[in-house]
Amino acid sequence: MGKTMIEKIIERASGKKVKVGDRVWCNIDWSTARDFGGANCVLQFEEVTEKKGKVWDPEKVAFTFDLQAPAHAEKVAQNQKTIRDFAKKQGISKVFDVNWGVGQHVLLENGLVKPGDVILGTDSHMNLLGAVGSFATGVGNTDIVASWFKGTNWFRVPETMKISATGTFKKGVCMRDFLTLLVGTLGADGMFFRSVEFYGETIENSTLADRITLCSMVTEMSGKVGLILPNGDVLDWLRARAGNEVDERVKAIAADPDAVYCQELSFDVNDLEPLASCPDAPDNVKKVREVAGNNIDQVHIGSCSNGRFEDIAAAFDVLKAANFQVSPTVRTIITPATRETMKRCAEAGMIQKFLEAGVIFTNPTCSLCTAEHYGVLPSGDVGVSTTNRNFIGKVGKGSHTYLMSPMSAMASAVRGVITDPRDILC
Amino acid sequence: MEQTILRGRAWVFGDDVDTDLIYHNKYLAETDPKKMPQFSFEYYPGKENFAKEVKEGDFVVAGRNFGCGSSREHAVYCLKFSGIPVVLAESFSRIYYRNAINNGYPVLFVNGLSEAIKAKAINDGDELEVNLAAGEIKNVTNGKTFHGDAVADLEKDIMAAGGLIEYLKEQAAKSA
Repeated sequence: MGKTMIEKIIERASGKKVKVGDRVWCNIDWSTARDFGGANCVLQFEEVTEKKGKVWDPEKVAFTFDLQAPAHAEKVAQNQKTIRDFAKKQGISKVFDVNWGVGQHVLLENGLVKPGDVILGTDSHMNLLGAVGSFATGVGNTDIVASWFKGTNWFRVPETMKISATGTFKKGVCMRDFLTLLVGTLGADGMFFRSVEFYGETIENSTLADRITLCSMVTEMSGKVGLILPNGDVLDWLRARAGNEVDERVKAIAADPDAVYCQELSFDVNDLEPLASCPDAPDNVKKVREVAGNNIDQVHIGSCSNGRFEDIAAAFDVLKAANFQVSPTVRTIITPATRETMKRCAEAGMIQKFLEAGVIFTNPTCSLCTAEHYGVLPSGDVGVSTTNRNFIGKVGKGSHTYLMSPMSAMASAVRGVITDPRDILC
Repeated sequence: MEQTILRGRAWVFGDDVDTDLIYHNKYLAETDPKKMPQFSFEYYPGKENFAKEVKEGDFVVAGRNFGCGSSREHAVYCLKFSGIPVVLAESFSRIYYRNAINNGYPVLFVNGLSEAIKAKAINDGDELEVNLAAGEIKNVTNGKTFHGDAVADLEKDIMAAGGLIEYLKEQAAKSA
């Protein structure tokens, strides 16, 4: 009987033959924490080791500062300092401070992530690194602290589902819309505890940015990780960053032809339309056309789901088609995922055009994934966002948010009401 | 695991209760678990007074996918240190489940709870009896009974040790 990708990854990391449902201890390739959760990890580790503990391997621990970067409050600043001091004490050199951007993206851009790696992080969207075939997963502080003892942790071997996509997106439609379709179809627990493998021409021809978008939302269906086997340009990009070893890794984690899946689904994206996750749940999905004309107060483009160069460029194209004018009645905020993304936006001349159009273009950070950041919504306001969650009151009590693609978000910013991007682009 | 029967009042929640509803992101910078209960369910419509009114021994009862969303362990600590002895739900989101087990905090997958909540077979304030070891739940208020799933061996061992850190320390002591 063949093995799925996650079974192969777990077998490599545990040194054991495994089957679905087994509990095994895996070696961890990276144990990471952010400014959020990171201080909790540090304080817990110091407490349970009576300040005498040493992390198992300082070369495999990393810290990323992204949730509230730079710090906006004294407590946050103190938490960040707690992490910096600990890293210094432990000899941990991989500290990506407040000037870097969203953690998983920064790790990836720095060539630290390889297919088949097992990676922990205090971020429920850690698993977007499945976009390059690594088993990254979000965990709490206790899991991180436990992994710092001996570089291992426990895992349940998950069932795997297989999702195939064929076809090409029409103008104004993109991978974000496909995953919104998935969330709406499968529901908030539609991938419950599962690993998911994505296949088909739509996936195989997609950019790294698109793959990240897709894998980041597996969490919103309660999946463990979404995995895509690197190929083509993505594999070239990854090899250039992480080294030639990635080729062997790709071979090692490829699913067997007779691998067993618990569910197989196929989609054709040719006739897909722009979709929105309506208030107040990611799986409350409607066509953008159905909610078009609804009033909005703010538009936010960014986050670990849709904050890469290609995402911002897609929004730029919509703005360009609208003669570089956003509605004066809407606050429009763009937040690049990383410093590298921001630099590319600057080099491409986009930032100047955004600023001239009245857009707020911020430093790289998680930005509006929390209500503890600039851009928080007052009660009664309605936002459009390319983040991954629109839970009740998430970015401000009494506010409501529509989740959409960067194109739909920018189209809405241009018109000042929810707008199908095809109305501007086509 | 203890054989005692726990008794307490039910606080009833729906499906897909996300971690922002349990413990809002506004308070993520908190690092002292014992200070977290004051923020429990502050953003859950209709349950804003939970933190003020909850009594030690009360139960949190919910439908499917409890604890979906963020990885924040705060959402486990806030209930644990509120004195909630166990969270009962049709199912738990995986990170919430791990965080609970890793803290030696009981969470029980209970069959049929989502439908029972929708059908008002279990309501806020109902008196419950919970036999954790046997996985049996009785709604004393209306006589209805529910059954929890068996806990896997590794999770049972981690729970018995009091959590993942304690479990690893025990294992290290054994192999020393």
